[in-house]
Amino acid sequence: MRWLLVAVWIGWVWDSGHTTPSGWDLAYIGPGAGFAFLGSFLALVWALLLSLGTLLTWPVRVALKSRRRRKWLRRAQVRKVIILGLDGLDPRLAERWMDEGKLPNLARLRAEGAFRRLRTTCPALSPVAWSTFATGVSPAKHRIFDFLDRNLRTYLLELSSSRVYRPRRYLKLGHFQIPLERPQLEQRRKSIPFWRILGEHGVDCTVLRVPLTFPPEPFAGRLLAGMCTPDLRGTQGSFSFFTTRALDSTAEGGNFYRLTRRGDLLEGWLEGPENPLRRDRRPLRVRFFLRACGDQQVELHIQGRRYRLDKGQYSPWIRVAFRAAPGVAAWGICRFLLKQVEPETELYVTPINVDPERPALPISHPHYYAPYLAKLLGPYATLGLAEDTWALSEGVIDEGAFLDQVWAIHAEREAMFFNALERQRTGLIACVFDASDRIQHMFYRYLDGRAQGPYKQAVEQMYRRMDELVGKALEYVDEGTVLLVMSDHGFGPFRRGVNLNSWLYQQGYLALQDGAMTSGPYFQGVDWTRTRAYAFGLAGIYLNLQGREAQGIVKPGREAEQLKKELAAKLCGLVDEQCGQSAIRQVYITSSLYRGPYVREGPDLLIGYAEGYRASWECAKGQVTSQVFEENSRPWSGDHAMDPSCVPGVLFVNRPLAVEQPGIEDLAPTVLALFGIEPPAHMDGKPMFQSGLVAREYEEIQESV
Amino acid sequence: MAKHVTVKVKKTLWDRVEQCARVAGYSSAEEFLEHVLERELAKLETADSDEEILQKLRGLGYIE
Repeated sequence: MRWLLVAVWIGWVWDSGHTTPSGWDLAYIGPGAGFAFLGSFLALVWALLLSLGTLLTWPVRVALKSRRRRKWLRRAQVRKVIILGLDGLDPRLAERWMDEGKLPNLARLRAEGAFRRLRTTCPALSPVAWSTFATGVSPAKHRIFDFLDRNLRTYLLELSSSRVYRPRRYLKLGHFQIPLERPQLEQRRKSIPFWRILGEHGVDCTVLRVPLTFPPEPFAGRLLAGMCTPDLRGTQGSFSFFTTRALDSTAEGGNFYRLTRRGDLLEGWLEGPENPLRRDRRPLRVRFFLRACGDQQVELHIQGRRYRLDKGQYSPWIRVAFRAAPGVAAWGICRFLLKQVEPETELYVTPINVDPERPALPISHPHYYAPYLAKLLGPYATLGLAEDTWALSEGVIDEGAFLDQVWAIHAEREAMFFNALERQRTGLIACVFDASDRIQHMFYRYLDGRAQGPYKQAVEQMYRRMDELVGKALEYVDEGTVLLVMSDHGFGPFRRGVNLNSWLYQQGYLALQDGAMTSGPYFQGVDWTRTRAYAFGLAGIYLNLQGREAQGIVKPGREAEQLKKELAAKLCGLVDEQCGQSAIRQVYITSSLYRGPYVREGPDLLIGYAEGYRASWECAKGQVTSQVFEENSRPWSGDHAMDPSCVPGVLFVNRPLAVEQPGIEDLAPTVLALFGIEPPAHMDGKPMFQSGLVAREYEEIQESV
Repeated sequence: MAKHVTVKVKKTLWDRVEQCARVAGYSSAEEFLEHVLERELAKLETADSDEEILQKLRGLGYIE
């Protein structure tokens, strides 16, 4: 019966969303109203056929599912595994506040189960570490070494996690075009996530917001994509700031927009995704009006609806439809924050998230899982890096508004997590919470005394709230459940930035065109025909290798190996003379550290920065500046892109643990082994529990089966 | 998610692919084949426009 309801409901979602049967292709906006109508009709017919099919095959499917379930339950050591991921939770801070009695639930886990520092990946970056968590393999086998990768032909930077291939065939009609095929989305993380293996064995899985799961890969379970899911504009999160002030020409556009007076109203245009039906791809826009109601309130008029905005308070999620043609729209959700009414009006709008009820992109598997959660729990943030750190860095929102946003998103995530815990009695439930990472990035300066003010306790309060979350999760833990509370890395201060490109230039490894002393971002002005090494992102240094990079000049083999050793020797212990200390603790030659098929695709050298240091902002963007070292005075004051030994993660388990130094790569094989599944040979990690450690529970489960 | 197509290769080649994939640390023979093809295509294919690529990075807190 449940399948029948789901099938009818899918049909309804397709129908009401004017999407095609894939349910997500508004990135490809269809060819027009006639087709949209036909699509709706076909969707209804398809839903009816699907309903009939599911009804007829229901007994067979139930029997098969039950057989597979009995099979894994017979072999399993546990009935349920809960993984509570707290991105960036630091073991040193956790230990300190546990010892001071401020984190009673984590302290209880430590006392009754186990607590370990969890070895992270090199580099200690979320996309890298969470990919290793998911696959049980090193970066050399999953191919993610950084947030960024480079195009080997153009040296331009791109996201490492996913790629969008636009339609290649269009029907062109003057200024307009009709795409004749769909765009393709590609997940670029390689290897196999462990939940896919669990699904193949009939283990029920719910995976919520684990980083680098966009676009979601099909598997026998439910998944909501996490970090690196784009906003509706296709970026990693672009806020909009509207003001009646005059904007200088450099500021206007992009993120800053004018509010124009129209009588007693203010008019603004909210910019959305580009219009795929126009050849110039001009962005789609939605007009809105503000009417002042005193100096603390305005009324927002948008797409025929009215909302009251109170100064300093976020609106609820507001749905906006960006229409490309009659009946063809991309749906987004955003929240408005009125910053000021008089003398000038200022309005902040969050990045426009993909509407989970009518997703224009595949943000979940199965496709109906995101709309299902939205119908059940209300709209929620779908953007990967949903907490708007950029707006805080730019001073567009203040710390209080940032924290309000973070905790609102956290509450949505909690609702999803506990909904899964309520409904799912066996199998895997994994959920990653991001507030811990974002708050430490932006508030570490208060923790280490670089900043003073009312947010001095922000990091500690976050740890307390995470502890409360663990306490609530513990209520769902019974004898047959293993709870793993873990983080991908820890945290440290980010006080000084190191520009490796500037160092490479000064040392003669990187050359600039026309005798320039500095370059623009994204390697503008770099002379590749004379450049032997370059850097971008946060992980390390790349050789300009012949046969790999389009204009590579370093010969693979002996020359490349010698250059790697030379650079490693010079950089290890690099002194920041202004502070009189080493900025780099260790330099790792990637091919010596890792073995795997993608080892040549990452950085050739991985840089282990000393605590307090990280790649500078300009270095991350591939820019040469006049200084190798620079002060970091931005609110983004904590980081983890340093030597992995400085920033291990945490692992709390409600069971004794024999392993003293577990690594994040051990999680995947551990969960497989707990469910009685042999980890595949290509996995680098090892199961953490010795066989029989959970024997008591195992026997109880056997009896109940 | 990108669609998949089926490609036929000789059984003898497939056996060698499977064996090499295991030794090299791939999770499957398909992954090995995809990697080989991607590596070669990267040398031949044209890239998106500069602006388009950089637009996708906007808002990435770690570099903004």
